[in-house]
Amino acid sequence: MRLERLLVLPVLFCLACKPPTPAERMDSMLSWLATARMTGEAWLRQTTPDTYSRQTLELSGEKIGQVATDLLKSPPSGVDAAALDALFTRSRVRVETMARLIAAKNAPDFGRQLDSLGADEKLVKRLVDSIEHKQ
Amino acid sequence: MKKILQITLGIVTSVGGFLEIGSVTTAAQAGAAFGYQLLWAILLGTLCLIFLVEMSGRLSAVSKHTIVEAMRERFGFPFFFIVLVGMVLVAFLVLIAELGGIGFSLQLLTGIGFPWWAVPVSLLVWLLMWKGTFGLIENGASLLGLVTISFVVAAIRLHPDWSGVAAGLLPAMPQSDKAHYGFIAVSIMGASISPYLMYFYSSGAIEDKWDETYVGVNRFIAGFGMTFGGFLSMAVLVAAALALQPRGIQVDDFHQSALLMTTALPRWGFYLFAISMLFACFGAALEVSLAIAYFFAQGFGWNWGEDLEPSKDARFSFVYTIIILLAAVPLLFGIDPVKVTIMSMALTAATLPLAIIPFLFLLNDPIYMGKHRNGWLSNSVVAIIIVVSFVLAVISIPLQIIGG
Repeated sequence: MRLERLLVLPVLFCLACKPPTPAERMDSMLSWLATARMTGEAWLRQTTPDTYSRQTLELSGEKIGQVATDLLKSPPSGVDAAALDALFTRSRVRVETMARLIAAKNAPDFGRQLDSLGADEKLVKRLVDSIEHKQ
Repeated sequence: MKKILQITLGIVTSVGGFLEIGSVTTAAQAGAAFGYQLLWAILLGTLCLIFLVEMSGRLSAVSKHTIVEAMRERFGFPFFFIVLVGMVLVAFLVLIAELGGIGFSLQLLTGIGFPWWAVPVSLLVWLLMWKGTFGLIENGASLLGLVTISFVVAAIRLHPDWSGVAAGLLPAMPQSDKAHYGFIAVSIMGASISPYLMYFYSSGAIEDKWDETYVGVNRFIAGFGMTFGGFLSMAVLVAAALALQPRGIQVDDFHQSALLMTTALPRWGFYLFAISMLFACFGAALEVSLAIAYFFAQGFGWNWGEDLEPSKDARFSFVYTIIILLAAVPLLFGIDPVKVTIMSMALTAATLPLAIIPFLFLLNDPIYMGKHRNGWLSNSVVAIIIVVSFVLAVISIPLQIIGG
Protein backbone atom coordinates (compact mmCIF):
# COMPACT_ATOMS: atom_id res chain seq x y z
CA MET A 1 0.00 0.00 0.00
CA ARG A 2 1.35 3.42 -0.91
CA LEU A 3 2.12 5.92 1.81
CA GLU A 4 -0.54 8.39 0.63
CA ARG A 5 -3.24 5.73 1.00
CA LEU A 6 -2.07 4.94 4.49
CA LEU A 7 -2.31 8.63 5.38
CA VAL A 8 -5.94 8.70 4.27
CA LEU A 9 -6.93 6.30 7.05
CA PRO A 10 -6.29 8.61 10.03
CA VAL A 11 -8.05 11.42 8.15
CA LEU A 12 -11.11 9.20 7.65
CA PHE A 13 -11.01 8.22 11.32
CA CYS A 14 -10.87 11.88 12.37
CA LEU A 15 -13.82 12.70 10.12
CA ALA A 16 -15.74 9.84 11.65
CA CYS A 17 -15.05 11.15 15.18
CA LYS A 18 -18.02 13.46 15.22
CA PRO A 19 -18.68 15.35 18.45
CA PRO A 20 -21.96 14.62 20.29
CA THR A 21 -24.99 16.46 18.93
CA PRO A 22 -26.82 18.97 21.17
CA ALA A 23 -29.60 16.38 21.58
CA GLU A 24 -27.07 13.77 22.79
CA ARG A 25 -25.61 16.32 25.20
CA MET A 26 -29.09 17.06 26.52
CA ASP A 27 -29.56 13.29 27.10
CA SER A 28 -26.26 13.26 28.97
CA MET A 29 -27.39 16.23 31.09
CA LEU A 30 -30.65 14.48 31.90
CA SER A 31 -28.72 11.31 32.79
CA TRP A 32 -26.53 13.11 35.34
CA LEU A 33 -29.46 15.01 36.84
CA ALA A 34 -31.34 11.71 37.20
CA THR A 35 -28.24 10.09 38.70
CA ALA A 36 -28.05 12.86 41.30
CA ARG A 37 -31.74 12.50 42.13
CA MET A 38 -31.65 8.70 42.39
CA THR A 39 -28.54 8.93 44.57
CA GLY A 40 -30.26 11.51 46.75
CA GLU A 41 -33.37 9.39 47.15
CA ALA A 42 -31.28 6.36 48.07
CA TRP A 43 -29.36 8.37 50.67
CA LEU A 44 -32.57 9.69 52.22
CA ARG A 45 -33.80 6.08 52.50
CA GLN A 46 -30.43 5.29 54.14
CA THR A 47 -29.73 2.54 51.63
CA THR A 48 -26.38 3.87 50.42
CA PRO A 49 -23.36 4.92 52.49
CA ASP A 50 -22.61 8.61 53.03
CA THR A 51 -19.26 8.51 51.26
CA TYR A 52 -20.61 6.93 48.08
CA SER A 53 -23.58 9.30 48.00
CA ARG A 54 -21.38 12.35 48.51
CA GLN A 55 -18.85 11.24 45.91
CA THR A 56 -21.58 10.49 43.37
CA LEU A 57 -23.22 13.87 43.92
CA GLU A 58 -19.86 15.62 43.58
CA LEU A 59 -19.22 13.71 40.36
CA SER A 60 -22.72 14.53 39.07
CA GLY A 61 -22.17 18.22 39.81
CA GLU A 62 -18.86 18.13 37.95
CA LYS A 63 -20.39 16.34 34.94
CA ILE A 64 -23.39 18.71 34.86
CA GLY A 65 -20.93 21.61 34.73
CA GLN A 66 -18.91 19.97 31.92
CA VAL A 67 -21.94 19.06 29.81
CA ALA A 68 -23.42 22.55 30.34
CA THR A 69 -20.20 24.20 29.12
CA ASP A 70 -20.20 22.04 25.96
CA LEU A 71 -23.92 22.53 25.39
CA LEU A 72 -23.79 26.28 25.72
CA LYS A 73 -21.07 26.47 23.05
CA SER A 74 -23.64 25.14 20.55
CA PRO A 75 -27.08 25.11 22.16
CA PRO A 76 -29.99 23.22 20.58
CA SER A 77 -31.78 25.34 17.99
CA GLY A 78 -34.83 27.25 19.18
CA VAL A 79 -33.75 27.15 22.84
CA ASP A 80 -32.96 30.29 24.85
CA ALA A 81 -29.26 29.85 25.75
CA ALA A 82 -29.42 32.27 28.70
CA ALA A 83 -32.37 30.41 30.26
CA LEU A 84 -30.59 27.13 29.67
CA ASP A 85 -27.44 28.47 31.33
CA ALA A 86 -29.46 29.64 34.35
CA LEU A 87 -31.20 26.25 34.66
CA PHE A 88 -27.97 24.27 34.46
CA THR A 89 -26.12 26.55 36.87
CA ARG A 90 -28.99 26.28 39.37
CA SER A 91 -29.03 22.48 39.05
CA ARG A 92 -25.26 22.20 39.46
CA VAL A 93 -25.29 24.39 42.57
CA ARG A 94 -28.16 22.34 44.01
CA VAL A 95 -26.30 19.06 43.46
CA GLU A 96 -23.13 20.48 45.01
CA THR A 97 -25.16 21.75 47.96
CA MET A 98 -26.68 18.29 48.40
CA ALA A 99 -23.18 16.81 48.55
CA ARG A 100 -22.29 19.27 51.33
CA LEU A 101 -25.53 18.53 53.18
CA ILE A 102 -24.60 14.84 53.28
CA ALA A 103 -21.34 15.76 54.98
CA ALA A 104 -23.38 17.83 57.48
CA LYS A 105 -25.96 14.98 57.78
CA ASN A 106 -28.73 17.54 57.25
CA ALA A 107 -31.57 15.40 55.90
CA PRO A 108 -34.41 18.00 56.03
CA ASP A 109 -32.55 20.57 53.90
CA PHE A 110 -31.30 17.79 51.70
CA GLY A 111 -34.89 16.67 51.05
CA ARG A 112 -35.89 20.22 50.05
CA GLN A 113 -32.96 20.48 47.61
CA LEU A 114 -33.87 17.08 46.22
CA ASP A 115 -37.45 18.19 45.53
CA SER A 116 -36.20 21.30 43.72
CA LEU A 117 -33.76 19.19 41.73
CA GLY A 118 -36.71 17.02 40.68
CA ALA A 119 -38.43 20.14 39.31
CA ASP A 120 -35.26 21.11 37.37
CA GLU A 121 -35.03 17.60 36.01
CA LYS A 122 -38.61 17.80 34.76
CA LEU A 123 -37.77 21.03 32.91
CA VAL A 124 -34.77 19.41 31.24
CA LYS A 125 -36.86 16.33 30.39
CA ARG A 126 -39.46 18.56 28.74
CA LEU A 127 -36.70 20.25 26.72
CA VAL A 128 -35.27 16.89 25.66
CA ASP A 129 -38.72 15.70 24.58
CA SER A 130 -39.34 18.86 22.56
CA ILE A 131 -35.92 18.56 20.85
CA GLU A 132 -36.58 14.90 20.01
CA HIS A 133 -40.06 15.82 18.76
CA LYS A 134 -38.58 18.44 16.40
CA GLN A 135 -36.13 15.85 15.05
CA MET B 1 -20.54 -40.39 41.23
CA LYS B 2 -17.21 -38.56 40.88
CA LYS B 3 -18.21 -37.36 37.40
CA ILE B 4 -21.58 -36.08 38.63
CA LEU B 5 -19.81 -34.12 41.33
CA GLN B 6 -17.38 -32.73 38.77
CA ILE B 7 -20.23 -31.72 36.47
CA THR B 8 -22.04 -30.00 39.33
CA LEU B 9 -18.91 -28.21 40.48
CA GLY B 10 -18.04 -27.31 36.89
CA ILE B 11 -21.49 -25.83 36.25
CA VAL B 12 -21.50 -23.97 39.55
CA THR B 13 -18.04 -22.49 38.92
CA SER B 14 -18.97 -21.58 35.35
CA VAL B 15 -21.98 -19.68 36.67
CA GLY B 16 -19.99 -18.04 39.47
CA GLY B 17 -17.17 -17.12 37.13
CA PHE B 18 -19.30 -15.96 34.20
CA LEU B 19 -19.84 -12.32 35.04
CA GLU B 20 -16.95 -9.91 34.94
CA ILE B 21 -16.59 -6.20 34.44
CA GLY B 22 -17.11 -6.38 30.67
CA SER B 23 -20.33 -8.37 30.77
CA VAL B 24 -21.78 -6.30 33.62
CA THR B 25 -20.87 -2.93 32.10
CA THR B 26 -22.04 -3.74 28.57
CA ALA B 27 -25.29 -5.35 29.79
CA ALA B 28 -26.01 -2.42 32.12
CA GLN B 29 -25.31 0.09 29.33
CA ALA B 30 -27.55 -1.87 26.96
CA GLY B 31 -30.44 -2.04 29.42
CA ALA B 32 -30.13 1.60 30.44
CA ALA B 33 -30.02 2.85 26.85
CA PHE B 34 -32.25 0.45 24.92
CA GLY B 35 -34.37 -1.47 27.45
CA TYR B 36 -34.72 -5.15 26.53
CA GLN B 37 -33.83 -4.57 22.87
CA LEU B 38 -30.28 -5.94 23.10
CA LEU B 39 -31.04 -9.20 24.92
CA TRP B 40 -30.53 -10.99 21.60
CA ALA B 41 -26.85 -9.94 21.60
CA ILE B 42 -26.29 -11.69 24.95
CA LEU B 43 -28.18 -14.75 23.69
CA LEU B 44 -26.13 -14.91 20.49
CA GLY B 45 -22.85 -14.34 22.35
CA THR B 46 -23.69 -17.03 24.91
CA LEU B 47 -24.62 -19.56 22.20
CA CYS B 48 -21.31 -18.92 20.42
CA LEU B 49 -19.45 -19.21 23.71
CA ILE B 50 -21.09 -22.56 24.57
CA PHE B 51 -19.84 -24.10 21.34
CA LEU B 52 -16.36 -22.58 21.54
CA VAL B 53 -15.84 -23.55 25.18
CA GLU B 54 -17.08 -27.09 24.48
CA MET B 55 -14.59 -27.39 21.61
CA SER B 56 -11.75 -25.98 23.72
CA GLY B 57 -12.38 -28.57 26.42
CA ARG B 58 -12.86 -31.42 23.92
CA LEU B 59 -9.61 -30.58 22.11
CA SER B 60 -7.67 -30.67 25.38
CA ALA B 61 -9.37 -33.80 26.73
CA VAL B 62 -8.85 -35.79 23.53
CA SER B 63 -5.52 -34.50 22.19
CA LYS B 64 -3.87 -33.55 25.53
CA HIS B 65 -2.93 -30.29 23.83
CA THR B 66 -4.21 -26.87 24.79
CA ILE B 67 -5.50 -24.64 21.98
CA VAL B 68 -2.28 -22.63 22.04
CA GLU B 69 -0.02 -25.68 21.89
CA ALA B 70 -2.02 -27.20 19.04
CA MET B 71 -2.15 -23.88 17.20
CA ARG B 72 1.61 -23.39 17.47
CA GLU B 73 2.24 -26.98 16.34
CA ARG B 74 -0.29 -26.98 13.48
CA PHE B 75 0.17 -23.46 12.05
CA GLY B 76 3.78 -22.67 12.98
CA PHE B 77 5.45 -19.82 14.82
CA PRO B 78 4.57 -16.85 12.53
CA PHE B 79 0.82 -17.46 12.84
CA PHE B 80 1.11 -18.14 16.58
CA PHE B 81 3.05 -14.89 17.01
CA ILE B 82 0.34 -12.81 15.27
CA VAL B 83 -2.34 -14.36 17.49
CA LEU B 84 -0.10 -13.86 20.54
CA VAL B 85 0.28 -10.14 19.90
CA GLY B 86 -3.46 -9.62 19.27
CA MET B 87 -4.71 -11.74 22.14
CA VAL B 88 -2.21 -10.58 24.73
CA LEU B 89 -2.81 -6.91 23.98
CA VAL B 90 -6.56 -7.31 24.33
CA ALA B 91 -6.28 -9.56 27.40
CA PHE B 92 -3.93 -7.03 28.99
CA LEU B 93 -6.56 -4.30 28.58
CA VAL B 94 -9.16 -6.66 30.06
CA LEU B 95 -6.85 -7.25 33.03
CA ILE B 96 -6.52 -3.49 33.62
CA ALA B 97 -10.32 -3.24 33.51
CA GLU B 98 -10.79 -6.15 35.94
CA LEU B 99 -8.25 -4.77 38.43
CA GLY B 100 -9.98 -1.40 38.08
CA GLY B 101 -13.31 -3.11 38.76
CA ILE B 102 -11.95 -4.62 41.98
CA GLY B 103 -10.58 -1.23 43.00
CA PHE B 104 -13.87 0.48 42.26
CA SER B 105 -15.85 -2.12 44.22
CA LEU B 106 -13.56 -1.43 47.16
CA GLN B 107 -14.09 2.29 46.65
CA LEU B 108 -17.86 1.70 46.88
CA LEU B 109 -17.42 -0.25 50.11
CA THR B 110 -14.81 1.95 51.78
CA GLY B 111 -14.97 5.35 50.13
CA ILE B 112 -11.21 5.22 49.39
CA GLY B 113 -10.55 6.10 45.73
CA PHE B 114 -9.80 3.19 43.38
CA PRO B 115 -6.27 4.32 42.42
CA TRP B 116 -5.24 3.68 46.04
CA TRP B 117 -6.33 0.08 45.65
CA ALA B 118 -4.26 -0.59 42.51
CA VAL B 119 -1.15 -1.79 44.33
CA PRO B 120 -2.75 -3.82 47.18
CA VAL B 121 -5.22 -5.48 44.80
CA SER B 122 -2.52 -6.35 42.26
CA LEU B 123 -0.33 -7.72 45.05
CA LEU B 124 -3.19 -9.89 46.32
CA VAL B 125 -3.93 -11.23 42.83
CA TRP B 126 -0.24 -11.96 42.30
CA LEU B 127 0.10 -13.60 45.74
CA LEU B 128 -2.82 -15.91 45.06
CA MET B 129 -1.28 -16.86 41.72
CA TRP B 130 2.13 -17.40 43.30
CA LYS B 131 0.95 -19.41 46.29
CA GLY B 132 -2.38 -20.80 45.13
CA THR B 133 -3.30 -23.87 43.15
CA PHE B 134 -5.38 -24.15 40.00
CA GLY B 135 -8.25 -25.63 42.02
CA LEU B 136 -8.24 -22.66 44.38
CA ILE B 137 -8.36 -20.18 41.50
CA GLU B 138 -10.89 -22.16 39.46
CA ASN B 139 -13.24 -23.10 42.26
CA GLY B 140 -12.59 -20.66 45.10
CA ALA B 141 -13.02 -17.42 43.18
CA SER B 142 -15.91 -18.78 41.13
CA LEU B 143 -17.80 -20.05 44.18
CA LEU B 144 -17.51 -16.58 45.74
CA GLY B 145 -18.78 -15.25 42.43
CA LEU B 146 -22.09 -17.01 43.02
CA VAL B 147 -23.15 -13.85 44.85
CA THR B 148 -23.77 -12.46 41.34
CA ILE B 149 -27.01 -14.48 41.36
CA SER B 150 -28.34 -11.45 43.25
CA PHE B 151 -28.71 -9.76 39.84
CA VAL B 152 -31.34 -12.37 38.97
CA VAL B 153 -33.17 -11.71 42.26
CA ALA B 154 -33.07 -7.96 41.54
CA ALA B 155 -34.37 -8.42 37.99
CA ILE B 156 -37.27 -10.62 39.14
CA ARG B 157 -38.19 -8.26 41.98
CA LEU B 158 -38.55 -5.44 39.45
CA HIS B 159 -41.36 -7.44 37.74
CA PRO B 160 -40.20 -7.42 34.13
CA ASP B 161 -42.71 -7.57 31.30
CA TRP B 162 -41.94 -11.10 30.12
CA SER B 163 -43.40 -10.60 26.66
CA GLY B 164 -41.07 -7.62 26.23
CA VAL B 165 -38.16 -9.76 27.45
CA ALA B 166 -39.07 -12.47 24.91
CA ALA B 167 -39.32 -9.86 22.14
CA GLY B 168 -35.84 -8.60 23.06
CA LEU B 169 -34.41 -12.02 22.28
CA LEU B 170 -35.05 -11.35 18.59
CA PRO B 171 -32.81 -8.81 16.85
CA ALA B 172 -34.52 -5.54 15.91
CA MET B 173 -33.14 -2.13 14.98
CA PRO B 174 -34.08 0.86 17.15
CA GLN B 175 -35.80 3.95 15.74
CA SER B 176 -32.85 6.20 16.58
CA ASP B 177 -29.26 6.05 17.83
CA LYS B 178 -28.43 3.13 15.54
CA ALA B 179 -24.64 3.60 15.76
CA HIS B 180 -24.69 3.50 19.56
CA TYR B 181 -26.99 0.47 19.46
CA GLY B 182 -24.59 -1.29 17.07
CA PHE B 183 -21.60 -0.38 19.22
CA ILE B 184 -23.15 -1.79 22.39
CA ALA B 185 -24.22 -4.95 20.52
CA VAL B 186 -20.62 -5.46 19.34
CA SER B 187 -19.29 -4.78 22.85
CA ILE B 188 -21.69 -7.34 24.32
CA MET B 189 -20.48 -9.91 21.81
CA GLY B 190 -16.88 -9.01 22.63
CA ALA B 191 -17.61 -9.42 26.33
CA SER B 192 -19.40 -12.75 25.80
CA ILE B 193 -16.95 -14.44 23.43
CA SER B 194 -13.80 -13.64 25.36
CA PRO B 195 -10.90 -15.62 23.87
CA TYR B 196 -9.06 -15.62 27.19
CA LEU B 197 -11.89 -17.74 28.58
CA MET B 198 -11.27 -20.42 25.95
CA TYR B 199 -7.52 -20.45 26.57
CA PHE B 200 -8.13 -20.62 30.31
CA TYR B 201 -10.70 -23.41 29.97
CA SER B 202 -8.52 -25.42 27.59
CA SER B 203 -5.49 -25.09 29.88
CA GLY B 204 -7.68 -25.95 32.87
CA ALA B 205 -8.66 -29.22 31.22
CA ILE B 206 -4.96 -30.13 31.04
CA GLU B 207 -4.34 -28.91 34.61
CA ASP B 208 -7.25 -31.08 35.76
CA LYS B 209 -5.84 -34.04 33.73
CA TRP B 210 -8.92 -34.59 31.58
CA ASP B 211 -8.90 -37.47 29.12
CA GLU B 212 -11.33 -38.82 26.53
CA THR B 213 -13.72 -39.98 29.26
CA TYR B 214 -14.34 -36.31 30.08
CA VAL B 215 -15.86 -35.44 26.69
CA GLY B 216 -19.38 -35.82 28.13
CA VAL B 217 -18.54 -33.97 31.35
CA ASN B 218 -17.11 -31.15 29.25
CA ARG B 219 -20.28 -30.96 27.16
CA PHE B 220 -22.49 -30.66 30.26
CA ILE B 221 -20.28 -28.04 31.89
CA ALA B 222 -19.99 -25.93 28.74
CA GLY B 223 -23.69 -26.23 27.93
CA PHE B 224 -25.30 -25.71 31.31
CA GLY B 225 -22.61 -23.54 32.91
CA MET B 226 -22.51 -21.01 30.08
CA THR B 227 -26.31 -21.03 29.68
CA PHE B 228 -26.88 -20.18 33.34
CA GLY B 229 -24.05 -17.63 33.11
CA GLY B 230 -25.77 -16.03 30.14
CA PHE B 231 -28.91 -15.70 32.26
CA LEU B 232 -26.91 -13.64 34.75
CA SER B 233 -25.86 -11.20 32.03
CA MET B 234 -29.46 -10.99 30.88
CA ALA B 235 -30.54 -10.29 34.47
CA VAL B 236 -28.13 -7.34 34.64
CA LEU B 237 -29.60 -5.98 31.41
CA VAL B 238 -33.19 -6.45 32.62
CA ALA B 239 -32.42 -4.80 35.98
CA ALA B 240 -30.84 -1.82 34.19
CA ALA B 241 -33.81 -1.60 31.81
CA LEU B 242 -36.22 -1.39 34.74
CA ALA B 243 -34.22 0.59 37.28
CA LEU B 244 -32.21 3.03 35.15
CA GLN B 245 -33.84 3.45 31.73
CA PRO B 246 -37.15 4.95 32.96
CA ARG B 247 -35.15 7.67 34.73
CA GLY B 248 -32.98 8.36 31.68
CA ILE B 249 -29.76 7.29 33.45
CA GLN B 250 -27.00 6.19 31.07
CA VAL B 251 -24.17 4.08 32.45
CA ASP B 252 -21.07 6.18 31.73
CA ASP B 253 -19.49 5.69 35.12
CA PHE B 254 -19.34 3.02 37.84
CA HIS B 255 -21.09 5.33 40.27
CA GLN B 256 -24.16 5.02 38.08
CA SER B 257 -24.05 1.24 37.76
CA ALA B 258 -23.89 1.01 41.55
CA LEU B 259 -27.51 2.23 41.62
CA LEU B 260 -28.61 -0.82 39.60
CA MET B 261 -29.99 -2.86 42.51
CA THR B 262 -30.96 -0.11 44.96
CA THR B 263 -34.55 -0.01 43.68
CA ALA B 264 -35.15 -3.77 43.68
CA LEU B 265 -33.28 -4.52 46.89
CA PRO B 266 -33.35 -1.24 48.86
CA ARG B 267 -31.64 -2.56 51.96
CA TRP B 268 -28.90 -4.68 50.48
CA GLY B 269 -28.83 -3.76 46.78
CA PHE B 270 -25.91 -1.36 46.96
CA TYR B 271 -23.72 -3.71 48.99
CA LEU B 272 -24.69 -6.75 46.92
CA PHE B 273 -23.69 -4.89 43.77
CA ALA B 274 -20.32 -3.90 45.26
CA ILE B 275 -19.60 -7.42 46.56
CA SER B 276 -20.77 -9.03 43.31
CA MET B 277 -18.46 -6.82 41.29
CA LEU B 278 -15.61 -7.39 43.74
CA PHE B 279 -15.75 -11.20 43.47
CA ALA B 280 -16.61 -11.27 39.77
CA CYS B 281 -13.71 -8.99 38.85
CA PHE B 282 -11.34 -10.76 41.25
CA GLY B 283 -12.07 -14.15 39.68
CA ALA B 284 -11.73 -12.70 36.19
CA ALA B 285 -8.44 -10.95 37.03
CA LEU B 286 -6.98 -14.27 38.16
CA GLU B 287 -8.24 -16.04 35.03
CA VAL B 288 -6.98 -13.37 32.61
CA SER B 289 -3.54 -13.24 34.26
CA LEU B 290 -3.29 -17.00 34.08
CA ALA B 291 -4.55 -17.08 30.48
CA ILE B 292 -1.83 -14.62 29.39
CA ALA B 293 0.87 -16.62 31.18
CA TYR B 294 -0.48 -19.86 29.66
CA PHE B 295 -0.39 -18.29 26.19
CA PHE B 296 3.29 -17.36 26.44
CA ALA B 297 4.41 -20.55 28.14
CA GLN B 298 2.50 -22.94 25.88
CA GLY B 299 3.45 -21.09 22.72
CA PHE B 300 7.16 -20.91 23.54
CA GLY B 301 7.29 -24.42 24.96
CA TRP B 302 8.13 -23.44 28.55
CA ASN B 303 7.17 -25.37 31.66
CA TRP B 304 3.79 -24.30 32.87
CA GLY B 305 1.20 -25.21 35.46
CA GLU B 306 -0.49 -23.31 38.24
CA ASP B 307 -0.01 -26.32 40.49
CA LEU B 308 3.78 -26.29 39.98
CA GLU B 309 6.10 -24.45 42.34
CA PRO B 310 7.13 -21.09 40.78
CA SER B 311 10.73 -22.31 40.76
CA LYS B 312 9.68 -25.20 38.49
CA ASP B 313 8.04 -22.90 35.92
CA ALA B 314 9.99 -19.69 36.43
CA ARG B 315 9.26 -18.12 33.03
CA PHE B 316 5.53 -18.84 33.34
CA SER B 317 5.49 -17.22 36.80
CA PHE B 318 7.61 -14.32 35.54
CA VAL B 319 5.06 -13.54 32.80
CA TYR B 320 2.10 -13.20 35.16
CA THR B 321 4.20 -11.26 37.65
CA ILE B 322 5.19 -8.68 35.01
CA ILE B 323 1.72 -8.53 33.47
CA ILE B 324 0.02 -7.86 36.82
CA LEU B 325 2.64 -5.26 37.71
CA LEU B 326 2.20 -3.44 34.39
CA ALA B 327 -1.60 -3.56 34.61
CA ALA B 328 -1.51 -1.77 37.96
CA VAL B 329 0.35 1.25 36.54
CA PRO B 330 -2.46 2.93 34.54
CA LEU B 331 -4.82 2.41 37.49
CA LEU B 332 -2.40 4.21 39.78
CA PHE B 333 -2.80 7.22 37.50
CA GLY B 334 -6.58 7.02 37.78
CA ILE B 335 -7.41 5.70 34.29
CA ASP B 336 -11.20 5.24 34.00
CA PRO B 337 -11.92 1.47 34.17
CA VAL B 338 -15.25 1.91 32.35
CA LYS B 339 -13.52 3.47 29.34
CA VAL B 340 -10.87 0.71 29.35
CA THR B 341 -13.64 -1.90 29.60
CA ILE B 342 -15.58 -0.53 26.66
CA MET B 343 -12.46 -0.15 24.54
CA SER B 344 -11.24 -3.66 25.39
CA MET B 345 -14.63 -5.22 24.56
CA ALA B 346 -14.70 -3.57 21.14
CA LEU B 347 -11.06 -4.60 20.51
CA THR B 348 -11.90 -8.15 21.58
CA ALA B 349 -14.57 -8.17 18.87
CA ALA B 350 -12.03 -6.81 16.38
CA THR B 351 -9.56 -9.65 17.07
CA LEU B 352 -12.10 -12.49 17.27
CA PRO B 353 -11.35 -14.02 13.85
CA LEU B 354 -7.74 -14.59 14.92
CA ALA B 355 -8.93 -16.57 17.92
CA ILE B 356 -11.69 -18.55 16.24
CA ILE B 357 -10.39 -19.57 12.79
CA PRO B 358 -7.92 -22.11 14.26
CA PHE B 359 -10.87 -23.98 15.79
CA LEU B 360 -12.17 -24.96 12.36
CA PHE B 361 -8.87 -26.64 11.45
CA LEU B 362 -7.86 -28.08 14.80
CA LEU B 363 -11.24 -29.60 15.64
CA ASN B 364 -11.35 -31.35 12.25
CA ASP B 365 -7.82 -32.68 12.36
CA PRO B 366 -7.86 -36.46 12.89
CA ILE B 367 -4.34 -36.34 14.34
CA TYR B 368 -5.59 -34.27 17.27
CA MET B 369 -9.20 -35.31 17.52
CA GLY B 370 -9.43 -38.91 16.33
CA LYS B 371 -13.06 -40.02 16.43
CA HIS B 372 -14.04 -36.89 18.38
CA ARG B 373 -13.73 -34.59 15.38
CA ASN B 374 -16.37 -31.94 14.83
CA GLY B 375 -19.62 -33.10 13.31
CA TRP B 376 -21.63 -31.14 10.77
CA LEU B 377 -23.47 -29.20 13.48
CA SER B 378 -20.31 -28.01 15.24
CA ASN B 379 -18.65 -27.16 11.92
CA SER B 380 -21.69 -25.21 10.77
CA VAL B 381 -21.74 -23.32 14.04
CA VAL B 382 -17.99 -22.55 13.86
CA ALA B 383 -18.44 -21.36 10.28
CA ILE B 384 -21.29 -19.07 11.37
CA ILE B 385 -19.23 -17.82 14.33
CA ILE B 386 -16.32 -17.08 11.99
CA VAL B 387 -18.62 -15.09 9.71
CA VAL B 388 -20.07 -13.24 12.73
CA SER B 389 -16.57 -12.61 14.08
CA PHE B 390 -15.46 -11.14 10.73
CA VAL B 391 -18.48 -8.86 10.66
CA LEU B 392 -17.75 -7.81 14.26
CA ALA B 393 -14.07 -7.26 13.44
CA VAL B 394 -14.89 -5.04 10.48
CA ILE B 395 -17.54 -2.92 12.19
CA SER B 396 -16.17 -2.74 15.73
CA ILE B 397 -13.63 0.07 15.28
CA PRO B 398 -15.81 2.35 13.10
CA LEU B 399 -18.68 1.80 15.55
CA GLN B 400 -16.39 2.63 18.46
CA ILE B 401 -15.62 5.95 16.78
CA ILE B 402 -19.17 6.79 15.72
CA GLY B 403 -21.28 5.23 18.44
CA GLY B 404 -18.90 4.62 21.34
